[in-house]
Amino acid sequence: MDYQQLLLALLPDLLVVVALFAALGVDYSRLRGSRLAKRYEVACQISAAGLIAGLAVLVLQIAGTMPVMDSTADGQLVLNTGTLTLKALLYAMGLGVLPLAKRDHITPQVSEYFALLLLATLGMGFVVTSRNLLGAFVALELVSLSLYAMTVLNQARRASAEAALKYLTFGAVASGFLLFGLSYLYGATGQLDLTQMTGLTDEPVLVLAYLLIFVGLGFKLALAPFHLWAPDVYQNAPTPVAGWIGSGSKIAAAALLIALLQPVVDAPNPKLKEALIPALAALAVLSMVVGNLGALRQTNLKRLLAYSAIANAGYLLVGVVAFSAAGNTSVIFYILVYSLASLGAFGVVAVLTDTLGRDAEINDFNGCWKTTPGLAVAFLIFVLSLAGIPPLAGFLGKFYLFFAAIGAAPEAASWHDGFYWLVAFALIMSVVSLYYYLRVLKAFLVAPADDGAAIAPSKIGWAAGVTLCVLALAVVALGLWPEPLLGLLRN
Amino acid sequence: MTALLTIILSFIGALVCGLMPSSAHRRIRWVALAVAAAGLAVSMVCCLNYSGGDFADLVKADWIPSLGIGFITGYDGISLPLLLVTGLVAVCGVLFSWTLETRANQFYAFYFALIGGVYGVFLSLDLFLLFVFYEIAVVPKYFLIAIWGGARRQFAAMKLVLYSFGGSALVLLGMLAVFFLAQDATSGKALETFSLLDLQQHGEVPREAQQWIFPLIFVGFAIMAGMWPFHTWAPTGHVAAPTAASMLLAGVVMKLGAYGCLRVAVGLLPAGAQAWAPWVAVVAIINIVYGALVALKQDDFKYVIGYSSVSHMGFVLLGIATLNLTGMTGAVLQMFSHGVIGALLFALVGTVIYSRTKTRMLDELHRLIDRMPGIAWVFIVASLASMGLPGFSGFISELYVLIGTWESESLSGWIVGGAGLGILLTFGYTLVKIHEAFFRERKTSDPGDAEISYPAMTLPEKIGVAILLGSALLIGLCPWLLTDKISPSLELMLERFPPN
Repeated sequence: MDYQQLLLALLPDLLVVVALFAALGVDYSRLRGSRLAKRYEVACQISAAGLIAGLAVLVLQIAGTMPVMDSTADGQLVLNTGTLTLKALLYAMGLGVLPLAKRDHITPQVSEYFALLLLATLGMGFVVTSRNLLGAFVALELVSLSLYAMTVLNQARRASAEAALKYLTFGAVASGFLLFGLSYLYGATGQLDLTQMTGLTDEPVLVLAYLLIFVGLGFKLALAPFHLWAPDVYQNAPTPVAGWIGSGSKIAAAALLIALLQPVVDAPNPKLKEALIPALAALAVLSMVVGNLGALRQTNLKRLLAYSAIANAGYLLVGVVAFSAAGNTSVIFYILVYSLASLGAFGVVAVLTDTLGRDAEINDFNGCWKTTPGLAVAFLIFVLSLAGIPPLAGFLGKFYLFFAAIGAAPEAASWHDGFYWLVAFALIMSVVSLYYYLRVLKAFLVAPADDGAAIAPSKIGWAAGVTLCVLALAVVALGLWPEPLLGLLRN
Repeated sequence: MTALLTIILSFIGALVCGLMPSSAHRRIRWVALAVAAAGLAVSMVCCLNYSGGDFADLVKADWIPSLGIGFITGYDGISLPLLLVTGLVAVCGVLFSWTLETRANQFYAFYFALIGGVYGVFLSLDLFLLFVFYEIAVVPKYFLIAIWGGARRQFAAMKLVLYSFGGSALVLLGMLAVFFLAQDATSGKALETFSLLDLQQHGEVPREAQQWIFPLIFVGFAIMAGMWPFHTWAPTGHVAAPTAASMLLAGVVMKLGAYGCLRVAVGLLPAGAQAWAPWVAVVAIINIVYGALVALKQDDFKYVIGYSSVSHMGFVLLGIATLNLTGMTGAVLQMFSHGVIGALLFALVGTVIYSRTKTRMLDELHRLIDRMPGIAWVFIVASLASMGLPGFSGFISELYVLIGTWESESLSGWIVGGAGLGILLTFGYTLVKIHEAFFRERKTSDPGDAEISYPAMTLPEKIGVAILLGSALLIGLCPWLLTDKISPSLELMLERFPPN
């Protein structure tokens, strides 16, 4: 193994690790007695510097000006344009979380907060680039453990601790299932390297392995019926953390699911595919029903976003069941645009409610069009993208999923063949979802300002403002001009 | 490129209006008027430049080539009248909202976003692009109604949007089916394109598949056209909407649905259309008769107009169902005609009369003919035009539709009879409601304002009325101005129909 090459390939990660230790070190030594605001400021700057440096190297790697190794032994790292793009986007989104986390001083353990954020980002970067069963699992655990810890950071809130405990127990069980599934997969194929698994057939042990994997990743993706942790965690975690759980960790889990299913897609024998489709379709339908119907009754905005996440995970599986290259690209594209919009929505909520001192109900946002028009417009863009309204990216993402699902059996000429039924169901459910998305937008844009509003707009701050602007622009731009990103992801 | 200006101008207008401060509502309305007038001017230029038959002013560019999606726009004789009506209604909508002050900047931002989407639908020659614009036109409606609407506006806005999206869901499914099933008519290879041009000119969807795709796409679009039994969004939506929005709804948005039925459902799936046409005709007759009967029973003036819209859209559907040149020409003409007259009626009831009487309940109105004679006569002329008085465009279009129905071999005589009954009922409710609104004395004893005269129409109102009524009259007297453009394009579409 060429260590110099490996070092270059992992340079982005190294830079982030350096920033992580720098943030911890500076906070512990020089800033020991400083004001909280100052410590937040410095920790945020150091973390941001690390991510920006990592991002710059990643861009060079994608552009091809910096050599990267194709693949290391056992598929531990597969660095191609597609995986590097995903990693770069995760770093960029992690960078976006930082200014949001800086605004609200929820905990005196400043540097730990930012170190955990960086660790989670680092883990996500490894999950999406690893094609090795063990490597990917360890990376996913790194993400999960960081997120568990961040959920409980706000020690002033009892509910936060309760949610974190729930998240931890559910998550640990899920990891157990996932590990079981991975070990069966290894047992049946004798391979740890996903790129080397060929010729899978529908042996019962393989079906069982994949079913266990679905359970494990179903927890991470908040698929019904494994979604029970999601509403509590989304509601009670610090809002920037909830945003990161709802975006970055979703991207990592979805990318891992696609990577694990790649051998099934490539297998010449379609039997395993056919054995897995009913399970995936059932999960998809159930998630769409639970998510969309559950969201209808929510009055708390963050809980509503949690149910919307469950529903969106259901749509995601519509692209997975296609079991095709187009389906895989559509899943990754969808989870990316979903995450951008979801992070944006959480960002707006974070900015608006961090002085509120309690959970924000939907009615609290009444009249935002008057008090904070810019944020209201940004929120409009994020929510309409979640709802799948063109020309925003969310629509194109959904369209691509459905396109791939129908395209999986292009010759199906009647409505009961192929996946027409599943797509039809998803479309009906998106109409239902419009009801609750519009209810939220009604508070932001329709209701008069004096109608029970409790939001006192505080100063947004340039960093958070820029983050939200960039996210909104990305959501619009990817809807209007998705071809470059699609091209990168296809590689 | 010319026609694209309509879309670009509208979206720029939306942006500009949205960024102006709401306190500047006087300046905003002039900006809005200028933007709307520019759109109308561009549509007129397109109309003058167009010389019959095939698509003109084509713009083709790659958009998302990996999914077979292109950015293709252009227009033909079917879209031209609709571009014109959009321009006309957009201008008049601004004129009839001249006094609007609350959140004026946002109002016109949503208003022009909606209009830009509408122009986009009429100009798109790519199925995906058409769908995108179709959906862009939906969301602003929610806000226009929910923010500036009247009683029960939240309910009406939500209902309208959910119905619209229900329809689009059907369309999207059908659209995907067309994409994957359409083959090259000569080589039999899969086309895999959303381009309407390619699909129409050398594409073919297998006959059996057309049988189930046609109802999906047709019903999906027809929900927006107010097709029974999915019409209920229309009256509630129209009534709750502010005047400019209800003008757009009746005048233009319902035409989006009908246009989709004609261009996409019938244009791409002729065999499906032939199989389903008798059923479409039956539903169209129900629309005409049921709409008229319900209008007869309404007490709220705006509901009367709302249901009359449902009834008139029945003629559009009936014209489409004839699948012959005369009937379909009538359908397109009726879209134009109802577009201007329907918008005019909503403007008169929603702004001109309501702003003076402060009520729309027919039994609270008291001898308006004496108290606002000018307005009353304008309204009477407009509703007679809507009823189908010779000399106005409504007469010509309904005549075309009836003759087309008579000529059509696949539709039975009962359909013609039903349409005739519908026309009689239209006479009935028009005359009864004119009497109730303008000539009748109030039933309840009134507290003394009975003899007060109302102020005459303001200048913007007069101009708006003149534009809308004038164009209905112009087309009524010289229908060849439009039919000469509509018929050749429809002929091209009908040529591609398989022999029955």
